[in-house]
Amino acid sequence: MKPSFLEQIGEQLTRKLASSSSRRGVLGRVGTAMVAGGVFPLLPVQRARAAAGNVAARAADVTTLSDFERRAQSSDPTKCNYWRHCAIDGVLCGCCGGGIHTCPPGTQPSPVSWIGTCRNPDDGRSYVIAYRDCCGRTTCTTSSDCECNTADREMPIYRPQTSNDIIWCFGTTSAAYHCSTAAIVGQAE
Amino acid sequence: MTCFSRSRYLLLASVVGMGVSMGGMAKAIPPVLQPEQSDVASLPPMGDHSVLVATGEQSFTLYDGDKGRILGTLPADMVDNIAIAPDRKDIYVAVTMWSRGDHGTREDFLRDYDAHTLDLTHEIELPPRGLAVFKQQNLELSQDGHWAFVFDMSPATGVTVVDLHEHKAARTVDIPGCALVFPWAHDGFSTICGDGSLTNVALAGSNVNVTHSKPFFDANRDPVFEQSQVDRKTGKALFISYTGQVYPVTLGATPVMGKTWSLQVAAGQPAAGMGQQEQAWRPGGDQPFAWHEADNKLYVLMHVGGYWTHKQEGTEVWVYDITTQHLLQRIDLPSPAKGITVSPDTANPQIYAMLASKKMAILSATTGQVEKTVEAKASGISIVPQP
Repeated sequence: MKPSFLEQIGEQLTRKLASSSSRRGVLGRVGTAMVAGGVFPLLPVQRARAAAGNVAARAADVTTLSDFERRAQSSDPTKCNYWRHCAIDGVLCGCCGGGIHTCPPGTQPSPVSWIGTCRNPDDGRSYVIAYRDCCGRTTCTTSSDCECNTADREMPIYRPQTSNDIIWCFGTTSAAYHCSTAAIVGQAE
Repeated sequence: MTCFSRSRYLLLASVVGMGVSMGGMAKAIPPVLQPEQSDVASLPPMGDHSVLVATGEQSFTLYDGDKGRILGTLPADMVDNIAIAPDRKDIYVAVTMWSRGDHGTREDFLRDYDAHTLDLTHEIELPPRGLAVFKQQNLELSQDGHWAFVFDMSPATGVTVVDLHEHKAARTVDIPGCALVFPWAHDGFSTICGDGSLTNVALAGSNVNVTHSKPFFDANRDPVFEQSQVDRKTGKALFISYTGQVYPVTLGATPVMGKTWSLQVAAGQPAAGMGQQEQAWRPGGDQPFAWHEADNKLYVLMHVGGYWTHKQEGTEVWVYDITTQHLLQRIDLPSPAKGITVSPDTANPQIYAMLASKKMAILSATTGQVEKTVEAKASGISIVPQP
Protein backbone atom coordinates (compact mmCIF):
# COMPACT_ATOMS: atom_id res chain seq x y z
CA MET A 1 0.00 0.00 0.00
CA LYS A 2 1.29 3.43 -0.90
CA PRO A 3 2.09 5.48 2.25
CA SER A 4 -0.16 8.46 2.87
CA PHE A 5 1.04 12.04 2.57
CA LEU A 6 1.23 12.39 6.35
CA GLU A 7 3.16 9.14 6.65
CA GLN A 8 5.64 10.36 4.05
CA ILE A 9 6.07 13.68 5.85
CA GLY A 10 6.50 11.89 9.17
CA GLU A 11 9.06 9.52 7.72
CA GLN A 12 11.04 12.37 6.14
CA LEU A 13 11.08 14.31 9.42
CA THR A 14 12.22 11.27 11.36
CA ARG A 15 14.99 10.50 8.92
CA LYS A 16 16.16 14.14 8.93
CA LEU A 17 16.14 14.25 12.71
CA ALA A 18 18.01 10.99 12.96
CA SER A 19 20.67 12.07 10.47
CA SER A 20 21.30 15.44 12.10
CA SER A 21 21.35 14.54 15.79
CA SER A 22 22.33 11.82 18.15
CA ARG A 23 19.58 10.07 20.11
CA ARG A 24 21.10 11.21 23.40
CA GLY A 25 21.30 14.82 22.21
CA VAL A 26 17.61 14.81 21.30
CA LEU A 27 16.65 13.36 24.64
CA GLY A 28 18.78 15.97 26.36
CA ARG A 29 17.08 18.85 24.57
CA VAL A 30 13.61 17.45 25.23
CA GLY A 31 14.52 17.00 28.90
CA THR A 32 15.73 20.60 29.14
CA ALA A 33 12.47 21.85 27.65
CA MET A 34 10.44 19.77 30.11
CA VAL A 35 12.38 21.11 33.09
CA ALA A 36 12.19 24.67 31.82
CA GLY A 37 8.48 24.28 31.39
CA GLY A 38 8.20 23.24 35.00
CA VAL A 39 10.33 26.08 36.33
CA PHE A 40 8.63 28.80 34.28
CA PRO A 41 4.97 27.84 34.06
CA LEU A 42 3.24 29.42 31.07
CA LEU A 43 1.20 32.44 32.04
CA PRO A 44 -2.52 32.51 31.10
CA VAL A 45 -1.85 35.32 28.64
CA GLN A 46 0.77 33.25 26.90
CA ARG A 47 -1.60 30.28 26.76
CA ALA A 48 -4.34 32.46 25.31
CA ARG A 49 -1.93 33.80 22.72
CA ALA A 50 -0.86 30.32 21.84
CA ALA A 51 -4.48 29.23 21.49
CA ALA A 52 -5.28 32.27 19.38
CA GLY A 53 -2.28 31.47 17.25
CA ASN A 54 -3.58 27.96 16.67
CA VAL A 55 -7.02 29.23 15.66
CA ALA A 56 -5.39 31.87 13.46
CA ALA A 57 -3.31 29.19 11.84
CA ARG A 58 -6.43 27.13 11.17
CA ALA A 59 -8.29 30.22 10.00
CA ALA A 60 -5.50 31.23 7.66
CA ASP A 61 -7.42 29.68 4.80
CA VAL A 62 -10.38 32.02 5.34
CA THR A 63 -10.41 32.81 1.64
CA THR A 64 -11.38 29.23 0.95
CA LEU A 65 -14.10 28.90 3.57
CA SER A 66 -17.66 28.54 2.38
CA ASP A 67 -20.08 31.41 2.96
CA PHE A 68 -21.73 29.33 5.67
CA GLU A 69 -18.40 28.77 7.42
CA ARG A 70 -17.49 32.47 7.24
CA ARG A 71 -20.78 33.46 8.89
CA ALA A 72 -21.22 30.55 11.31
CA GLN A 73 -21.76 31.27 15.01
CA SER A 74 -21.29 29.04 18.05
CA SER A 75 -23.62 30.58 20.63
CA ASP A 76 -27.20 29.85 19.51
CA PRO A 77 -27.98 26.29 18.35
CA THR A 78 -31.58 27.27 17.50
CA LYS A 79 -30.44 29.26 14.48
CA CYS A 80 -29.70 27.99 11.00
CA ASN A 81 -26.25 29.61 11.05
CA TYR A 82 -25.11 27.63 14.12
CA TRP A 83 -21.87 26.02 13.00
CA ARG A 84 -23.09 22.40 13.20
CA HIS A 85 -25.89 23.17 10.75
CA CYS A 86 -23.64 23.42 7.69
CA ALA A 87 -25.51 20.66 5.83
CA ILE A 88 -28.90 20.36 7.52
CA ASP A 89 -32.26 20.23 5.79
CA GLY A 90 -35.23 20.38 8.10
CA VAL A 91 -36.67 21.83 11.27
CA LEU A 92 -34.32 22.29 14.23
CA CYS A 93 -35.37 20.07 17.16
CA GLY A 94 -34.11 22.75 19.57
CA CYS A 95 -37.06 24.86 18.40
CA CYS A 96 -39.51 21.99 19.03
CA GLY A 97 -38.95 20.97 22.64
CA GLY A 98 -35.75 19.05 22.02
CA GLY A 99 -32.15 20.10 21.67
CA ILE A 100 -29.06 19.93 19.51
CA HIS A 101 -28.79 16.16 20.13
CA THR A 102 -32.15 15.59 21.85
CA CYS A 103 -35.45 14.56 20.30
CA PRO A 104 -38.61 16.32 21.53
CA PRO A 105 -40.96 14.39 23.86
CA GLY A 106 -42.98 11.68 22.16
CA THR A 107 -40.67 11.30 19.18
CA GLN A 108 -38.09 8.68 18.30
CA PRO A 109 -34.53 9.24 17.07
CA SER A 110 -33.77 7.47 13.81
CA PRO A 111 -31.01 4.89 14.33
CA VAL A 112 -29.41 5.93 11.03
CA SER A 113 -28.66 9.37 9.69
CA TRP A 114 -26.85 11.40 7.12
CA ILE A 115 -23.66 13.18 8.10
CA GLY A 116 -21.99 16.48 7.46
CA THR A 117 -18.53 17.84 8.10
CA CYS A 118 -18.71 21.26 9.73
CA ARG A 119 -16.09 23.70 10.93
CA ASN A 120 -16.27 24.99 14.50
CA PRO A 121 -15.36 28.69 14.42
CA ASP A 122 -14.15 28.53 18.06
CA ASP A 123 -11.34 26.08 17.49
CA GLY A 124 -11.05 26.05 13.70
CA ARG A 125 -11.46 22.26 13.67
CA SER A 126 -13.82 20.30 11.49
CA TYR A 127 -16.18 17.79 13.05
CA VAL A 128 -18.33 15.01 11.67
CA ILE A 129 -21.96 15.80 12.51
CA ALA A 130 -24.74 13.18 12.54
CA TYR A 131 -28.02 14.77 11.49
CA ARG A 132 -30.42 12.36 13.18
CA ASP A 133 -34.05 12.91 12.39
CA CYS A 134 -36.65 12.61 15.15
CA CYS A 135 -39.60 10.67 13.86
CA GLY A 136 -43.06 9.34 14.64
CA ARG A 137 -44.89 12.66 14.95
CA THR A 138 -46.17 15.06 12.38
CA THR A 139 -43.73 17.77 11.37
CA CYS A 140 -42.96 20.30 14.09
CA THR A 141 -44.68 23.60 13.44
CA THR A 142 -42.42 26.41 14.58
CA SER A 143 -40.79 29.63 13.49
CA SER A 144 -39.62 29.72 9.89
CA ASP A 145 -36.26 30.82 11.32
CA CYS A 146 -35.90 27.22 12.53
CA GLU A 147 -36.47 25.72 9.07
CA CYS A 148 -33.00 25.33 7.61
CA ASN A 149 -31.59 24.12 4.32
CA THR A 150 -27.83 24.31 3.98
CA ALA A 151 -25.62 22.29 1.69
CA ASP A 152 -21.89 22.36 2.44
CA ARG A 153 -20.53 19.07 1.07
CA GLU A 154 -24.10 17.84 0.57
CA MET A 155 -24.43 15.15 -2.09
CA PRO A 156 -27.25 13.68 -4.20
CA ILE A 157 -29.38 10.78 -3.05
CA TYR A 158 -27.19 8.27 -4.86
CA ARG A 159 -24.61 9.16 -2.18
CA PRO A 160 -27.15 8.76 0.63
CA GLN A 161 -24.82 9.09 3.62
CA THR A 162 -24.30 12.77 2.85
CA SER A 163 -27.67 13.51 1.23
CA ASN A 164 -30.03 15.67 3.27
CA ASP A 165 -33.22 15.48 1.19
CA ILE A 166 -33.97 11.95 2.42
CA ILE A 167 -36.45 11.40 5.25
CA TRP A 168 -34.05 9.57 7.56
CA CYS A 169 -36.72 7.76 9.57
CA PHE A 170 -35.70 4.17 8.90
CA GLY A 171 -36.25 1.69 11.74
CA THR A 172 -38.63 3.90 13.71
CA THR A 173 -42.29 3.20 14.45
CA SER A 174 -43.32 5.32 11.51
CA ALA A 175 -41.40 7.38 8.99
CA ALA A 176 -43.35 10.51 9.87
CA TYR A 177 -40.73 13.30 10.04
CA HIS A 178 -40.75 15.66 13.01
CA CYS A 179 -37.40 17.51 13.23
CA SER A 180 -33.63 17.14 12.90
CA THR A 181 -30.75 17.14 15.40
CA ALA A 182 -27.04 17.74 14.86
CA ALA A 183 -24.91 15.58 17.18
CA ILE A 184 -21.11 15.60 17.13
CA VAL A 185 -19.69 12.23 16.11
CA GLY A 186 -16.03 13.20 16.36
CA GLN A 187 -13.30 15.31 14.88
CA ALA A 188 -12.99 14.97 11.13
CA GLU A 189 -9.68 13.57 9.92
CA MET B 1 -95.27 48.83 19.99
CA THR B 2 -96.02 50.18 23.41
CA CYS B 3 -93.03 52.47 23.18
CA PHE B 4 -94.22 54.08 19.96
CA SER B 5 -96.90 56.71 19.95
CA ARG B 6 -99.45 56.25 17.18
CA SER B 7 -98.37 59.45 15.42
CA ARG B 8 -94.71 58.50 15.31
CA TYR B 9 -95.58 55.08 13.87
CA LEU B 10 -97.62 56.64 11.08
CA LEU B 11 -94.78 59.04 10.26
CA LEU B 12 -92.27 56.23 10.05
CA ALA B 13 -94.57 54.14 7.88
CA SER B 14 -95.12 57.02 5.45
CA VAL B 15 -91.35 57.69 5.10
CA VAL B 16 -90.68 54.04 4.34
CA GLY B 17 -93.53 54.00 1.87
CA MET B 18 -92.15 57.05 0.07
CA GLY B 19 -88.73 55.45 -0.18
CA VAL B 20 -90.16 52.33 -1.76
CA SER B 21 -92.29 54.25 -4.21
CA MET B 22 -89.42 56.57 -5.23
CA GLY B 23 -87.10 53.55 -5.66
CA GLY B 24 -89.75 51.89 -7.75
CA MET B 25 -89.88 54.86 -10.06
CA ALA B 26 -86.09 54.82 -10.60
CA LYS B 27 -85.58 51.09 -11.07
CA ALA B 28 -87.72 48.01 -11.69
CA ILE B 29 -87.89 45.48 -8.91
CA PRO B 30 -85.34 42.75 -9.72
CA PRO B 31 -86.64 39.22 -10.16
CA VAL B 32 -86.41 36.86 -7.23
CA LEU B 33 -83.17 34.78 -7.35
CA GLN B 34 -83.89 31.18 -8.30
CA PRO B 35 -82.75 28.12 -6.33
CA GLU B 36 -79.60 26.45 -7.67
CA GLN B 37 -78.46 22.88 -8.16
CA SER B 38 -75.04 22.04 -6.73
CA ASP B 39 -72.77 20.49 -9.33
CA VAL B 40 -69.12 19.64 -9.90
CA ALA B 41 -66.77 21.18 -12.43
CA SER B 42 -64.81 19.06 -14.86
CA LEU B 43 -61.78 19.96 -16.91
CA PRO B 44 -61.24 20.33 -20.64
CA PRO B 45 -58.46 18.23 -22.19
CA MET B 46 -55.20 19.23 -20.50
CA GLY B 47 -53.70 22.09 -22.48
CA ASP B 48 -50.06 22.98 -22.99
CA HIS B 49 -50.34 25.81 -20.49
CA SER B 50 -51.24 23.58 -17.55
CA VAL B 51 -48.91 23.30 -14.58
CA LEU B 52 -49.17 21.17 -11.43
CA VAL B 53 -47.54 22.95 -8.51
CA ALA B 54 -46.52 21.40 -5.16
CA THR B 55 -48.36 23.68 -2.75
CA GLY B 56 -48.44 24.00 1.01
CA GLU B 57 -46.79 20.57 1.54
CA GLN B 58 -50.28 19.05 1.37
CA SER B 59 -51.38 19.17 -2.22
CA PHE B 60 -50.61 19.62 -5.87
CA THR B 61 -52.58 22.43 -7.40
CA LEU B 62 -53.38 22.44 -11.09
CA TYR B 63 -53.16 25.90 -12.67
CA ASP B 64 -54.23 27.39 -15.96
CA GLY B 65 -51.06 29.24 -16.94
CA ASP B 66 -52.85 31.68 -19.23
CA LYS B 67 -55.30 32.89 -16.62
CA GLY B 68 -53.16 32.23 -13.56
CA ARG B 69 -56.16 30.50 -12.00
CA ILE B 70 -56.62 27.25 -10.13
CA LEU B 71 -58.32 24.46 -12.08
CA GLY B 72 -58.30 21.80 -9.35
CA THR B 73 -56.40 20.12 -6.53
CA LEU B 74 -54.88 16.71 -5.88
CA PRO B 75 -53.92 15.61 -2.37
CA ALA B 76 -50.21 14.91 -1.85
CA ASP B 77 -47.94 15.30 1.17
CA MET B 78 -44.44 16.65 0.85
CA VAL B 79 -42.97 13.19 0.30
CA ASP B 80 -45.51 12.07 -2.29
CA ASN B 81 -44.59 12.02 -5.96
CA ILE B 82 -46.67 12.95 -8.96
CA ALA B 83 -46.57 12.33 -12.71
CA ILE B 84 -48.78 13.17 -15.69
CA ALA B 85 -49.46 10.36 -18.20
CA PRO B 86 -47.91 10.96 -21.62
CA ASP B 87 -51.42 11.09 -23.16
CA ARG B 88 -52.48 13.56 -20.41
CA LYS B 89 -55.52 11.46 -19.49
CA ASP B 90 -54.30 10.34 -16.07
CA ILE B 91 -52.36 11.84 -13.19
CA TYR B 92 -50.54 9.48 -10.85
CA VAL B 93 -49.57 10.15 -7.23
CA ALA B 94 -47.27 7.79 -5.28
CA VAL B 95 -48.35 7.97 -1.65
CA THR B 96 -47.10 6.73 1.71
CA MET B 97 -49.36 7.09 4.73
CA TRP B 98 -50.03 5.60 8.13
CA SER B 99 -53.47 4.39 9.13
CA ARG B 100 -53.53 6.63 12.20
CA GLY B 101 -51.77 9.72 10.94
CA ASP B 102 -48.24 9.57 12.31
CA HIS B 103 -48.39 5.90 13.34
CA GLY B 104 -50.28 2.70 12.68
CA THR B 105 -50.13 0.52 9.59
CA ARG B 106 -47.96 1.84 6.80
CA GLU B 107 -49.52 1.86 3.37
CA ASP B 108 -47.77 2.60 0.10
CA PHE B 109 -49.80 2.90 -3.04
CA LEU B 110 -50.05 4.60 -6.40
CA ARG B 111 -53.17 6.66 -6.96
CA ASP B 112 -54.58 7.03 -10.45
CA TYR B 113 -56.68 10.15 -11.05
CA ASP B 114 -58.76 10.87 -14.13
CA ALA B 115 -57.31 14.09 -15.56
CA HIS B 116 -60.75 15.17 -16.86
CA THR B 117 -62.69 14.85 -13.60
CA LEU B 118 -59.82 14.54 -11.07
CA ASP B 119 -61.75 11.51 -9.74
CA LEU B 120 -59.70 8.77 -8.08
CA THR B 121 -60.06 5.77 -10.38
CA HIS B 122 -57.56 3.22 -8.99
CA GLU B 123 -55.26 2.68 -6.05
CA ILE B 124 -52.40 0.27 -6.73
CA GLU B 125 -50.61 -1.33 -3.74
CA LEU B 126 -46.85 -0.78 -3.63
CA PRO B 127 -44.02 -2.21 -1.52
CA PRO B 128 -42.46 0.37 0.85
CA ARG B 129 -41.00 3.11 -1.26
CA GLY B 130 -38.40 5.81 -0.82
CA LEU B 131 -39.32 8.82 1.21
CA ALA B 132 -37.48 11.92 0.22
CA VAL B 133 -38.42 15.43 -0.65
CA PHE B 134 -40.34 15.14 -3.89
CA LYS B 135 -38.38 15.05 -7.09
CA GLN B 136 -39.78 14.15 -10.46
CA GLN B 137 -37.00 11.55 -10.79
CA ASN B 138 -38.54 9.50 -7.92
CA LEU B 139 -41.57 8.60 -10.06
CA GLU B 140 -41.41 8.25 -13.83
CA LEU B 141 -43.60 6.73 -16.51
CA SER B 142 -42.69 4.84 -19.66
CA GLN B 143 -43.39 6.78 -22.81
CA ASP B 144 -46.09 4.31 -23.91
CA GLY B 145 -47.94 4.85 -20.62
CA HIS B 146 -47.73 1.15 -19.75
CA TRP B 147 -45.31 1.28 -16.81
CA ALA B 148 -44.68 3.43 -13.79
CA PHE B 149 -41.24 3.31 -12.17
CA VAL B 150 -41.26 4.10 -8.45
CA PHE B 151 -37.94 4.64 -6.68
CA ASP B 152 -37.76 2.79 -3.34
CA MET B 153 -35.42 3.30 -0.39
CA SER B 154 -35.67 1.22 2.75
CA PRO B 155 -32.71 2.24 3.00
CA ALA B 156 -31.64 -0.40 0.44
CA THR B 157 -32.59 0.97 -2.96
CA GLY B 158 -34.79 -0.47 -5.66
CA VAL B 159 -37.32 0.46 -8.33
CA THR B 160 -40.85 -0.95 -8.33
CA VAL B 161 -42.20 -1.47 -11.82
CA VAL B 162 -45.97 -0.95 -11.90
CA ASP B 163 -48.17 -2.24 -14.71
CA LEU B 164 -50.59 0.65 -15.28
CA HIS B 165 -52.71 -1.43 -17.67
CA GLU B 166 -53.20 -4.21 -15.12
CA HIS B 167 -53.23 -1.82 -12.17
CA LYS B 168 -50.73 -3.80 -10.13
CA ALA B 169 -47.08 -3.80 -9.14
CA ALA B 170 -45.23 -6.13 -11.51
CA ARG B 171 -41.90 -6.47 -9.71
CA THR B 172 -39.19 -4.68 -7.80
CA VAL B 173 -35.67 -4.41 -9.20
CA ASP B 174 -32.83 -3.99 -6.70
CA ILE B 175 -30.40 -1.23 -7.65
CA PRO B 176 -27.80 -1.37 -4.85
CA GLY B 177 -25.76 1.80 -4.58
CA CYS B 178 -27.91 3.61 -7.13
CA ALA B 179 -30.96 5.87 -7.08
CA LEU B 180 -33.64 7.69 -9.09
CA VAL B 181 -35.21 6.83 -12.43
CA PHE B 182 -34.43 8.09 -15.95
CA PRO B 183 -36.70 6.31 -18.46
CA TRP B 184 -35.51 5.12 -21.85
CA ALA B 185 -37.41 5.71 -25.06
CA HIS B 186 -38.59 2.07 -24.89
CA ASP B 187 -38.79 -0.68 -22.27
CA GLY B 188 -36.34 0.32 -19.62
CA PHE B 189 -34.74 2.89 -17.39
CA SER B 190 -31.38 3.89 -15.96
CA THR B 191 -30.40 4.94 -12.47
CA ILE B 192 -27.44 7.00 -11.21
CA CYS B 193 -24.93 5.20 -9.02
CA GLY B 194 -22.61 6.40 -6.27
CA ASP B 195 -19.46 5.68 -8.27
CA GLY B 196 -20.50 7.97 -11.13
CA SER B 197 -21.87 5.20 -13.35
CA LEU B 198 -25.34 4.14 -14.51
CA THR B 199 -27.20 0.95 -13.77
CA ASN B 200 -29.47 0.10 -16.69
CA VAL B 201 -32.61 -2.02 -16.40
CA ALA B 202 -34.13 -3.47 -19.57
CA LEU B 203 -37.67 -4.77 -19.27
CA ALA B 204 -38.17 -8.05 -21.12
CA GLY B 205 -41.65 -9.31 -20.41
CA SER B 206 -41.73 -10.35 -16.77
CA ASN B 207 -37.92 -10.49 -16.65
CA VAL B 208 -35.34 -7.75 -16.50
CA ASN B 209 -31.78 -7.53 -17.75
CA VAL B 210 -29.46 -5.33 -15.70
CA THR B 211 -26.26 -3.81 -17.06
CA HIS B 212 -23.75 -1.37 -15.63
CA SER B 213 -21.91 1.41 -17.40
CA LYS B 214 -18.44 2.65 -16.61
CA PRO B 215 -18.23 5.78 -14.44
CA PHE B 216 -18.63 8.88 -16.58
CA PHE B 217 -18.60 11.66 -13.97
CA ASP B 218 -16.67 12.32 -10.77
CA ALA B 219 -19.20 11.50 -8.06
CA ASN B 220 -16.74 12.31 -5.29
CA ARG B 221 -15.90 15.82 -6.39
CA ASP B 222 -18.48 17.08 -8.88
CA PRO B 223 -21.68 14.98 -8.74
CA VAL B 224 -24.50 15.35 -11.24
CA PHE B 225 -27.80 16.81 -10.05
CA GLU B 226 -30.62 14.46 -9.09
CA GLN B 227 -32.82 16.76 -11.17
CA SER B 228 -30.90 16.00 -14.39
CA GLN B 229 -33.15 15.84 -17.41
CA VAL B 230 -34.31 13.19 -19.86
CA ASP B 231 -36.26 13.51 -23.10
CA ARG B 232 -38.67 10.63 -22.59
CA LYS B 233 -39.45 10.31 -26.30
CA THR B 234 -35.84 9.76 -27.33
CA GLY B 235 -34.29 8.47 -24.11
CA LYS B 236 -31.60 11.12 -24.36
CA ALA B 237 -30.48 12.45 -21.00
CA LEU B 238 -28.54 15.51 -19.92
CA PHE B 239 -26.75 14.83 -16.64
CA ILE B 240 -25.62 18.18 -15.25
CA SER B 241 -23.05 18.49 -12.48
CA TYR B 242 -22.83 20.91 -9.57
CA THR B 243 -20.22 22.97 -11.44
CA GLY B 244 -22.30 23.03 -14.64
CA GLN B 245 -20.71 20.27 -16.70
CA VAL B 246 -23.31 18.73 -19.03
CA TYR B 247 -22.96 15.02 -19.83
CA PRO B 248 -25.23 14.01 -22.74
CA VAL B 249 -26.07 10.30 -22.63
CA THR B 250 -28.38 8.26 -24.83
CA LEU B 251 -29.87 5.82 -22.36
CA GLY B 252 -30.23 2.11 -23.01
CA ALA B 253 -28.74 -1.25 -22.06
CA THR B 254 -25.43 0.15 -23.32
CA PRO B 255 -25.60 3.90 -22.77
CA VAL B 256 -23.87 6.05 -25.37
CA MET B 257 -21.96 8.97 -23.87
CA GLY B 258 -21.82 12.19 -25.84
CA LYS B 259 -19.33 15.03 -25.66
CA THR B 260 -19.30 16.89 -22.34
CA TRP B 261 -19.92 20.65 -22.40
CA SER B 262 -20.04 23.44 -19.86
CA LEU B 263 -22.94 25.77 -19.08
CA GLN B 264 -20.45 28.56 -18.40
CA VAL B 265 -18.23 28.03 -21.44
CA ALA B 266 -21.36 27.90 -23.61
CA ALA B 267 -22.08 31.38 -22.22
CA GLY B 268 -18.61 32.71 -23.05
CA GLN B 269 -17.39 32.43 -19.46
CA PRO B 270 -14.67 30.34 -17.82
CA ALA B 271 -15.79 26.90 -16.65
CA ALA B 272 -16.79 27.04 -12.97
CA GLY B 273 -14.50 25.28 -10.51
CA MET B 274 -14.91 23.69 -7.11
CA GLY B 275 -13.57 26.48 -4.90
CA GLN B 276 -15.92 27.45 -2.10
CA GLN B 277 -15.13 31.09 -2.73
CA GLU B 278 -14.80 30.72 -6.49
CA GLN B 279 -17.64 32.99 -7.52
CA ALA B 280 -19.30 32.02 -10.78
CA TRP B 281 -22.71 31.66 -12.32
CA ARG B 282 -23.89 28.20 -11.28
CA PRO B 283 -27.04 26.07 -11.56
CA GLY B 284 -29.01 25.60 -8.35
CA GLY B 285 -32.31 25.28 -6.53
CA ASP B 286 -34.87 22.57 -5.86
CA GLN B 287 -35.66 22.13 -9.54
CA PRO B 288 -33.01 23.96 -11.56
CA PHE B 289 -33.60 22.51 -15.05
CA ALA B 290 -36.29 22.25 -17.70
CA TRP B 291 -35.79 20.68 -21.12
CA HIS B 292 -38.05 22.12 -23.83
CA GLU B 293 -37.94 19.11 -26.06
CA ALA B 294 -39.67 20.51 -29.18
CA ASP B 295 -37.28 23.46 -29.39
CA ASN B 296 -34.37 21.42 -27.95
CA LYS B 297 -33.66 24.17 -25.46
CA LEU B 298 -32.40 23.78 -21.90
CA TYR B 299 -33.66 26.27 -19.31
CA VAL B 300 -31.41 26.60 -16.26
CA LEU B 301 -31.96 28.44 -12.99
CA MET B 302 -28.66 30.26 -12.35
CA HIS B 303 -27.16 32.19 -9.44
CA VAL B 304 -23.77 33.63 -8.55
CA GLY B 305 -21.97 31.69 -5.85
CA GLY B 306 -19.17 29.36 -4.89
CA TYR B 307 -19.14 25.58 -4.89
CA TRP B 308 -21.73 23.85 -2.62
CA THR B 309 -24.39 26.40 -3.54
CA HIS B 310 -26.27 23.80 -5.57
CA LYS B 311 -29.46 24.39 -3.55
CA GLN B 312 -29.34 28.17 -3.74
CA GLU B 313 -32.23 29.96 -5.45
CA GLY B 314 -31.62 31.32 -8.93
CA THR B 315 -31.88 34.95 -9.95
CA GLU B 316 -31.88 34.36 -13.71
CA VAL B 317 -32.99 31.72 -16.19
CA TRP B 318 -30.41 30.94 -18.84
CA VAL B 319 -31.67 29.40 -22.07
CA TYR B 320 -29.38 27.15 -24.11
CA ASP B 321 -29.60 25.72 -27.59
CA ILE B 322 -28.73 22.10 -26.82
CA THR B 323 -27.87 21.32 -30.45
CA THR B 324 -25.26 24.05 -30.80
CA GLN B 325 -24.49 24.23 -27.06
CA HIS B 326 -24.71 28.00 -26.97
CA LEU B 327 -26.42 30.41 -24.63
CA LEU B 328 -29.39 32.02 -26.41
CA GLN B 329 -30.99 34.16 -23.75
CA ARG B 330 -30.71 35.36 -20.15
CA ILE B 331 -33.99 36.11 -18.40
CA ASP B 332 -34.13 38.17 -15.22
CA LEU B 333 -36.53 36.83 -12.62
CA PRO B 334 -38.62 39.25 -10.55
CA SER B 335 -37.16 37.68 -7.40
CA PRO B 336 -35.09 34.54 -6.63
CA ALA B 337 -36.72 31.25 -7.61
CA LYS B 338 -36.39 27.74 -6.15
CA GLY B 339 -37.55 25.88 -9.22
CA ILE B 340 -38.67 26.24 -12.81
CA THR B 341 -40.51 24.34 -15.45
CA VAL B 342 -41.46 25.28 -19.02
CA SER B 343 -44.64 24.58 -20.98
CA PRO B 344 -44.16 22.16 -23.89
CA ASP B 345 -45.64 24.29 -26.72
CA THR B 346 -43.58 26.10 -29.33
CA ALA B 347 -46.06 28.90 -30.14
CA ASN B 348 -46.00 30.76 -26.85
CA PRO B 349 -44.05 28.80 -24.26
CA GLN B 350 -44.30 29.88 -20.65
CA ILE B 351 -41.80 29.63 -17.82
CA TYR B 352 -43.31 28.76 -14.45
CA ALA B 353 -40.95 30.03 -11.76
CA MET B 354 -41.58 29.00 -8.15
CA LEU B 355 -40.27 31.96 -6.19
CA ALA B 356 -38.66 31.82 -2.76
CA SER B 357 -41.55 34.04 -1.64
CA LYS B 358 -43.86 31.07 -2.47
CA LYS B 359 -45.45 33.00 -5.32
CA MET B 360 -45.48 31.57 -8.81
CA ALA B 361 -44.30 33.90 -11.58
CA ILE B 362 -45.53 33.03 -15.07
CA LEU B 363 -43.18 34.46 -17.71
CA SER B 364 -43.17 34.44 -21.48
CA ALA B 365 -40.26 32.21 -22.46
CA THR B 366 -39.99 34.22 -25.66
CA THR B 367 -39.78 37.73 -24.25
CA GLY B 368 -38.87 37.01 -20.65
CA GLN B 369 -41.67 39.31 -19.48
CA VAL B 370 -43.74 38.41 -16.43
CA GLU B 371 -47.30 37.64 -17.56
CA LYS B 372 -48.84 36.73 -14.20
CA THR B 373 -47.82 36.49 -10.57
CA VAL B 374 -49.88 34.11 -8.45
CA GLU B 375 -50.09 33.78 -4.65
CA ALA B 376 -49.65 30.03 -5.00
CA LYS B 377 -48.04 29.04 -1.65
CA ALA B 378 -45.69 27.09 -3.90
CA SER B 379 -42.74 24.94 -2.92
CA GLY B 380 -40.00 24.63 -5.53
CA ILE B 381 -41.46 21.72 -7.45
CA SER B 382 -43.85 21.73 -10.40
CA ILE B 383 -44.54 19.56 -13.43
CA VAL B 384 -46.05 20.14 -16.85
CA PRO B 385 -47.52 17.75 -19.44
CA GLN B 386 -45.29 16.34 -22.16
CA PRO B 387 -45.46 17.67 -25.74
